Amino acid sequence: MIEVVGLSKRFGTHAAVSELSLRVEPGTIYGFLGPNGAGKTTTVKLLTGLLRPSAGRALVCGFDVVASAVEAKSRLGLVPDEPFVYPKLTGAEFLRLTGDLYGIPLATQRRRIPELLEMFELSHFAGELLETYSHGMRQKVVLASVILHEPKALLLDEPLVGLDPKSARMAKEIFRTMAARGCAIFMCTHVLEIAERICDRIGIILGGRLIAEGTLDELRRRGKGAALEDIFLELTGGVEYAELLKNL
Amino acid sequence: MPSSLRTFSLLQGRRLRSARNAVLAQTPWEWARNAAFIAMGLWMMEGMRWGFHRLLAYLDGVELIGGLLTWKLVAMALLTTFSMVVISSLVISLTTFFYASDLRWLVRVPAPSAAVFADKAAETVFYSSWMIVLAVLPLMAALMQVKGLGAAFLGAFAALLLPALVLATAGGMAFTLCLMAAFPSPRTRDVVWVLSSLGAASVYVFARAVEPERLIRPDALMRVAEYLSFLQAPTAPWAPSWWLTEGLSAWAGGRHALFWTRLAELYAAAGAASAALLALASRLYLQSYAGAQEGGRARRPIDIPETPEMRVRSRLAALFGSWAPSAATAALYWKERKTFVRDVKHWSQIVLIGALIMVYLLSIDRLPLDTPELKSLVCFLNIGVAGFVLASLGLRFTFPAVSLEGKSFWVVRSAPLGVAQLMRQKLLFSLPPTLAVATALVFVSNRLLGADRFVGTLTLVTIWMTACTLTAMGIGFGAMFPRFNVENIHQVESSAGGFVYMACSLAAVGFTLAAEAWPVKMHFDERLGRAGAWDWRAACVSAVLLLAVNAAAAGVPWVLGRRRLEAYEGD
Repeated sequence: MIEVVGLSKRFGTHAAVSELSLRVEPGTIYGFLGPNGAGKTTTVKLLTGLLRPSAGRALVCGFDVVASAVEAKSRLGLVPDEPFVYPKLTGAEFLRLTGDLYGIPLATQRRRIPELLEMFELSHFAGELLETYSHGMRQKVVLASVILHEPKALLLDEPLVGLDPKSARMAKEIFRTMAARGCAIFMCTHVLEIAERICDRIGIILGGRLIAEGTLDELRRRGKGAALEDIFLELTGGVEYAELLKNL
Repeated sequence: MPSSLRTFSLLQGRRLRSARNAVLAQTPWEWARNAAFIAMGLWMMEGMRWGFHRLLAYLDGVELIGGLLTWKLVAMALLTTFSMVVISSLVISLTTFFYASDLRWLVRVPAPSAAVFADKAAETVFYSSWMIVLAVLPLMAALMQVKGLGAAFLGAFAALLLPALVLATAGGMAFTLCLMAAFPSPRTRDVVWVLSSLGAASVYVFARAVEPERLIRPDALMRVAEYLSFLQAPTAPWAPSWWLTEGLSAWAGGRHALFWTRLAELYAAAGAASAALLALASRLYLQSYAGAQEGGRARRPIDIPETPEMRVRSRLAALFGSWAPSAATAALYWKERKTFVRDVKHWSQIVLIGALIMVYLLSIDRLPLDTPELKSLVCFLNIGVAGFVLASLGLRFTFPAVSLEGKSFWVVRSAPLGVAQLMRQKLLFSLPPTLAVATALVFVSNRLLGADRFVGTLTLVTIWMTACTLTAMGIGFGAMFPRFNVENIHQVESSAGGFVYMACSLAAVGFTLAAEAWPVKMHFDERLGRAGAWDWRAACVSAVLLLAVNAAAAGVPWVLGRRRLEAYEGD
């Protein structure tokens, strides 16, 4: 489970995230939507301990990500927006490193790593250095590394960017399966269609504040039956683009 | 499409604007911190100026040949500077021309390839030379004072230096360009890169083995005329550094016609080299760049054996229980070893370090020392020189170790392990080679010079302690000043943190020598027959001081670095 209580992050005078509170239950996929610069990636970084909160706290499976960082991180998986991986390791070696860092037994790694590489169609490239991989291939390696250590909570920051349609479809199925097995998934995305299809709950952030939250049906009722895209644009002020288009 | 010159100006403009924005975006704390670093840097440069002034004043005061000696030293310093810039440009141009993060954008926009190449060449010249230039400035300031020249001398130096730097880097850039064009296969290119380093190292060792210093010792020469002819002979007359020296000497001597001739020659040569480089780049650059982006590694089967690090860790855990390194530390060590070995840039540097050690020991072996006491004393002072070498190696290998995690730092940061574990792994990785170099420098030197048992033992124990201190200090400062978003390792080395590390490591070596000076004096008093030479209370105070200095030098940066890295939120 992921729990966020009154979480705030300031950079100087700029409040990137303000008093954010939300809860992602086990088995739930929580879609976190917002325009560019709204505070989505900052929230993910706060949840992983990559940033320290100015106020409030974040808990993963009951462990505070700052006070009990190691316990929290051992239950957490992260797929960042940019799949930076060690360029001088091979794909298989990166998975091996992840397995060792998360304490996965060698026998399990020997069985699971080839399976995962096969699943993501990376077997032929497993022995090549990651510096030669495309963006999408690196994204697949990161996804495979997360699945390898079977986290109880998963943070996804634009996880489908760069993936080909087949891999994107498979990734969505994987997220659904992981949620069905009890994993709490928190996913930032710009792709509203994905949020509509696979998320159980949706939160919309603007200027660092959570301005709407609920199931898709709850949000639709609030938007008088409109599509998620219309609700999102209505809430975030995106409808003004028509005026701007005149300048095109 | 805009002209090459206009595009080049636009591209340079973006650098200036980025620099201006970076300065304006600084918080008051960052202003204060940077001001403190600048003040510390100026203070160090002033110290160097003072030292050079004393040396040059002494040389200049030698009867008859004082002036020649002074210019000979300047010529040697500038030749060394020139060589260092050439070597730096070799390594840096590989990154700036082929692997810089902005290249994908630069080759996509409709910019003439000549403008893109010139922009990257300007970047290479800057990064290859700025730190070396700062180091040579105090020498020039001292020379100006000793020769009683006005501040215009520094202007003349700047005017001569700029084309000399362009010439020095043009060679390195041309080599890299040809190498990348000739060997598009990464593995072949890596092999050629290492072989080139081996060649450079061999030339270096050979040049030292012929003992040029024999010529500047009058007693080693048969005739006075021979000595004078050596002094008057130019130091590497084919190198632009000599033209620079001649230009400076002409300015200082009021021979303005010669100065302007040398200046014109330098600018003509730099212009010709730049034109030749641009012509070469127009044929090879885009082709080489495309080759550099390709993969081509051999495909290997998926193999997941137990790593040697994990095997060792299991054995240590069986022996020492929870005192053994953690599995995560072993995994990180394995990752570090793999990535280090596969980066060919490290190999070329290791080859050059091997050459440096050989030359160092060769120099020790040829020292003209007469008495056993003098030899033992030099063995003791050798700690200072060996400490300086270790600090320099630390700046290149240990200090950047944390920053080398690069943009992949999130992998470790989001994994279930603490920052301290990462730092311990870096320490474990850096310490054995540092200890090996330290031992080679001191143990072999002691054997070559025939140090007595006391000095031999003391120096060996001291250099091991110094190696541990400097390594821990390097990791600590590396964690305190991490730079994960840089494109080449030189940006880490030449950062403010690198400067602080170097200053503090040299101070630690100096304090270590000072703490041992009194017991060493008592030892020599005893050797020279003075009764009751040993005052054990003084020896104990020295030992406590020595331990305190090293504990503080290792511990304080370590703790501060750990805290800083735990709170790290981005560059």
